[in-house]
Amino acid sequence: MKANKEIKRLFVGGLGQSISEADLQNQFSRFGEVSDVEIITRKDDKGNPQKVFAYINIKVAEADLKKCMSVLNKTKWKGGTLQIQLAKESFLHRLAQEREEAKAKKEKSTTGSTSLLEKMGVVDFHVKAVPGTEVPGHKNWVVSKFGRVLPVLHLKNQQKRKIIKYDPSKYCHNLKKVGEDFTNAIPISNLTWELEGGNDPMSKKRRGEFSDFHSPPKKTAKVQKNEGPTAPLATRPKPSGVTESPHLPKQRAAQKTPRDPIALKLPRVPDSRSPKLKNVFFQTSSLETAKNRNSMSDDDIDSEDELRLMIAREENLEKTAWSSVNESENDPFEVVRDDFKSDFHRFHTARGVGIKNKVSCLDSEDNVGNDCDSDSGDTDEIIAMKKNANEVRNSIDLSQMEKSVHKETSLKNRKICDLSENCVKVQKGKNEVEIAVSHRVKSPSCKSLADSRSSGDADSVSESIQSEGDTEYNTMMKNCLRVNLTLADLEQLAGSNQEAPKEDTESSGQEAPAKCDKASNSHRTPGGHRKGRQCIHPEEIVASLLEGKEDTHGKQKPKENNLKPKFQAFKGVGCLYGKESVKQSSKEDVAYNNVNNDHNSLKLEDPRSMSMEKCSPFANGSSSELTHFQHGKKANNSKQIQPRKRQSTFESQGHRVVSPSSSEEGSRNSSLLLQKGKKSLSLAAKTPRRSSDEGCCHRTGKSGEDSEKRPDLSIPKAPEKSAGVSSRRDTRGSKTDFPLSVTSSSDVSAKDKHAEDNQKRLAALEARQKAKEVQKKLVHNALANLDGHPEDKPTHIIFGSNSESEAEETSTQEHSHAGEEAVKESMGRASGKLFDSSDDEESVSEDDSNRFRIKPQFEGKAGQKLMDLQSHFGTDDRFRMDSRFLESDSEEEQEEINEKKTAEEEELAAEKQKALNVVQSVLHDNLISSTSKGSVAAKKFKDIIRYDPTRHDHASYERKGDDKSKESKAKRKKKREEAEKLPEVSKEMYYNIATDLKQIFQTTKDASEKKDNRPWNEDSDGEKAEEFQDPAAPMTGDEQPSGFTFSFFDSDAKDVKEETYRVETVKPGKIAWQGDPRFQDSSSEEEDDTEETDDKKPSPEEVSSPEKQTTRFFFFSKNDERLHGSDLFWRGVGSNVSRSSWEARTNNLRMDCRKKHKDAKRRVKPK
Amino acid sequence: MRPLTEEETRVMFEKIAKYIGENLQLLVDRPDGTYCFRLHNDRVYYVSEKILKLAANISGDKLVSLGTCFGKFTKTHKFRLHITALDYLAPYAKYKVWIKPGAEQSFLYGNHVLKSGLGRITENTSQYQGVVVYSMADIPLHPKGGKVSLNTH
Repeated sequence: MKANKEIKRLFVGGLGQSISEADLQNQFSRFGEVSDVEIITRKDDKGNPQKVFAYINIKVAEADLKKCMSVLNKTKWKGGTLQIQLAKESFLHRLAQEREEAKAKKEKSTTGSTSLLEKMGVVDFHVKAVPGTEVPGHKNWVVSKFGRVLPVLHLKNQQKRKIIKYDPSKYCHNLKKVGEDFTNAIPISNLTWELEGGNDPMSKKRRGEFSDFHSPPKKTAKVQKNEGPTAPLATRPKPSGVTESPHLPKQRAAQKTPRDPIALKLPRVPDSRSPKLKNVFFQTSSLETAKNRNSMSDDDIDSEDELRLMIAREENLEKTAWSSVNESENDPFEVVRDDFKSDFHRFHTARGVGIKNKVSCLDSEDNVGNDCDSDSGDTDEIIAMKKNANEVRNSIDLSQMEKSVHKETSLKNRKICDLSENCVKVQKGKNEVEIAVSHRVKSPSCKSLADSRSSGDADSVSESIQSEGDTEYNTMMKNCLRVNLTLADLEQLAGSNQEAPKEDTESSGQEAPAKCDKASNSHRTPGGHRKGRQCIHPEEIVASLLEGKEDTHGKQKPKENNLKPKFQAFKGVGCLYGKESVKQSSKEDVAYNNVNNDHNSLKLEDPRSMSMEKCSPFANGSSSELTHFQHGKKANNSKQIQPRKRQSTFESQGHRVVSPSSSEEGSRNSSLLLQKGKKSLSLAAKTPRRSSDEGCCHRTGKSGEDSEKRPDLSIPKAPEKSAGVSSRRDTRGSKTDFPLSVTSSSDVSAKDKHAEDNQKRLAALEARQKAKEVQKKLVHNALANLDGHPEDKPTHIIFGSNSESEAEETSTQEHSHAGEEAVKESMGRASGKLFDSSDDEESVSEDDSNRFRIKPQFEGKAGQKLMDLQSHFGTDDRFRMDSRFLESDSEEEQEEINEKKTAEEEELAAEKQKALNVVQSVLHDNLISSTSKGSVAAKKFKDIIRYDPTRHDHASYERKGDDKSKESKAKRKKKREEAEKLPEVSKEMYYNIATDLKQIFQTTKDASEKKDNRPWNEDSDGEKAEEFQDPAAPMTGDEQPSGFTFSFFDSDAKDVKEETYRVETVKPGKIAWQGDPRFQDSSSEEEDDTEETDDKKPSPEEVSSPEKQTTRFFFFSKNDERLHGSDLFWRGVGSNVSRSSWEARTNNLRMDCRKKHKDAKRRVKPK
Repeated sequence: MRPLTEEETRVMFEKIAKYIGENLQLLVDRPDGTYCFRLHNDRVYYVSEKILKLAANISGDKLVSLGTCFGKFTKTHKFRLHITALDYLAPYAKYKVWIKPGAEQSFLYGNHVLKSGLGRITENTSQYQGVVVYSMADIPLHPKGGKVSLNTH
């Protein structure tokens, strides 16, 4: 029973007024525990109780409650019928209960698992319930779109009497759940307005800080990477060279070196010429610089890797053009200018060069001897010497010094060679030194070239023109090209040097094999071949060096200088290609060097005397050339020694070997020899020819094609046609010339060296005379060889080199008349000569040309038609169509066609115009519509009228400028004056303020006083004004136009001083307010009135009632004269009337204003 | 085959101008002849006048293509460039991106280019700028626009 007892709340109504709580408690305590009794009485407004009822909290069992209800309900008790009902719990109680429950729940939820599950269930309901499902137990509550439980609303439309059901499950609601941390929000002031900067690059960039690009160390690392693949190549062969393990490793190296260049260079082929050249330049420059460094640091740098590194570094340093690129290269990716052209090939070329060096080094390595130490000392000396030479190089006076130096170096080289071949290091060092020197020398030399050409040599007109025209760029190119050459030449030089001493010192027996080897560069004998190559390269190097020096000394060999840049360009290209295979390289070198030889060959082929003279200038040539001679001798000797069979091969290779280096020298030698004795020359000429023939045969098979093809490739790229021409010419010339050079070289003796210097000087003079002719011939040769087929040449040479040379001579003569401008024609001719350059053919060709010429009757459109007709009816005379058969309306048809065409064109043009318009709109640019008809016409030169001064009707196009110019002078003057005056205005404004203040303070005095003061004022102001105007016044002069000072003063008759004063005074009037005294002072009052109208209006009260108001103003005295002007203004209305009316009006206005103000306030308040 | 309408022209030019900017004018107004754009099968062809005349002899339903296809109009009349337009875009491109050889293949297979794959880029290239993608050997690979952004993360 007890357990069932619950606290219930009972409503007991119908109680009497006199009832008390105790009564109720007693009454109900029969059934259960009464805990609380609450009696409520309802009263009407007069305080009479109407209703009395009570709430009783009772702890009662169910049965007792029923009993209670049944017993007490509707029973009369103390003057009322009881009415007992169950009531809701009191809210206080409920609240307490709820709180308790909540507490309990919380505790449970934190601890108990069951409550959690329940919660989960609830949550699940929210989450999982498909939108639209009704919430169980709640009518009209639905799961809405986002999982919230929302009531379905029935909205009544105000106007339409329609009830809209708003189902939240069908609409998105824009309620948002506010996060619990909402209250914890940080105040705005505490928000982060700046990101704290980290030091990492990203954050820096975000802040807008961009660091400069500079991280060379990275670059070097990169370079190393780049060079990585090539490095092993370099390193591998070296040990072989050092150990002198004979053939296998060397061969390997040889094979590798050629292969790499092929791979690397192939991509370069398609490139246009200019980028290539650039690349070349960069390489070379970098190379040289690197080498310079190396040379400075003696021979320490051995490995190619280091070299490359240096190169790369130097590239970075040197290339200003690529600076941006380089900078960016440091970063993982580079940023590039808009006009960027890829330097992708640079790397390849650089590698190629490096490989070249390698090759040369390898060659030198082959020669590696025992005496590294002794040689190193020599090299050091050489370096020092060269440095000196470099320093001195620019001065022509010191040229001899340089020569001597250079001789010394050569001697030293020889010594070195005598001792044995240098060790790898030494040779490299040498090469480097030489290269560096050559580069240094050449850069000035190029400049000097231009100088020398312009000054000394009338001969080199054509080439000088080219070179000069090209200006710096060309010189740069030349430089780089030259450098390339020098690389090759260096090797040659070294080789020659080595060989020369060998000859001298070593026994003949030794010489023979060595020479043979050298001569027979053939791959069959690897060692020999290598040596031969060596010889070539070093010789060339020396030669180039010497040449460069000579160039700097200048003037001695202007011709060569002029020619060389061009040729060297090709050499450089050739070198690039050349290393594809050792053989080819040698051949190509030959071919390119042949360019140089061409002079010689030409000279040689010319009457002997001519050649002698020409050669003599070349004879100036350095000792290196002499050494070359020796080298050539060796070749010859080797021939003699070897069986005849070999001879041919030797010779051919000998050509290759010798020709590059010795071609020029050979000619020089020949000249020298000539001076000594002509016998030798003749002999040489004879013998060489044979050899040359053979050599040519060989070559045509192998190298001829390659070399010639390559020049062909290079030619189109070549900026200068003539250069290209020359390259071809070279190939031919080389063949013919080689023999000569070889022979000549054979004759050369060591004595030449001594005679050299003297001869050089003599030769220089002669050279200048002949240079022109030679050049012309060169041009001719080039043209003749333009389309020369490799196959043709050998045959030519074989069957009659004499005749060919003669033909060439004749052609040269022809061309000499035409000069260089005839290049194109000559090219055409040369192509004609492809088949045969005989007179018969010329006539034949003429016939042909006649045959193909359009006959006069077939000219034009009509003629075409006629021809068509004729062709239709065949050749039968009966049906021959004459011009009679031509329709007369042909022209009309034509016109029609034209019209059609024009219509189409117009359509297209219109379309284009449209498109352009769209383009403009797209680009938002004021693009010039260049396609407009006018411009098109301009392109076609249709409507442009060419002005012909001789024609009278063109007089209308003339402009008569004289009259205008006179007028314009006056105008201009005026304008200028006006322009000068303008500043005055500003000036006046400038110091108005000061004067104004002054005067304002002065106006406080009486008018009479003012009048007294005025003159003083005027004076001072005038002076001031003049002072200020001084700068401008003198310029404008006294004629200051009255219009300018116009303002309010009619009287211009006053003197200048007054005018200036007036200028002064007028302006302040405008600026200053009404109280300015000067209006009264100055002339007429009427003007003042007009002036003051503006100012007075705002403050009419003050002005109009000065008498009334007794207050004294700061600036005005009572009844101030100055204020009379306002009376004038009001006079028109009548002062009295105006005042009364004004007062009335002001009152009205005031009232209105107040009213409005009130209204406005009232309106504002309720809101 | 018909000439483009004004609207089409605008849409197309806007697209192309993203890559070549004002150089677009050079495409429209060529000194070496008259070139025009023609729409055929929703594709835009860049045709020389000569070829245009020749193509006039071929009926529209038989004509497969003429000149160089620059791209096509989608059904929603947007313009999509085709790779064939690269030949004309590449030489005029104002902004270029060079891609390292390693990333080249990946890019050509349609993948993104990571920052590491970026060999070089025209300076001042802004985000969303239309660029022409080059290989390091200076071979234009693809015009790339719109979505290209230099995400530096």
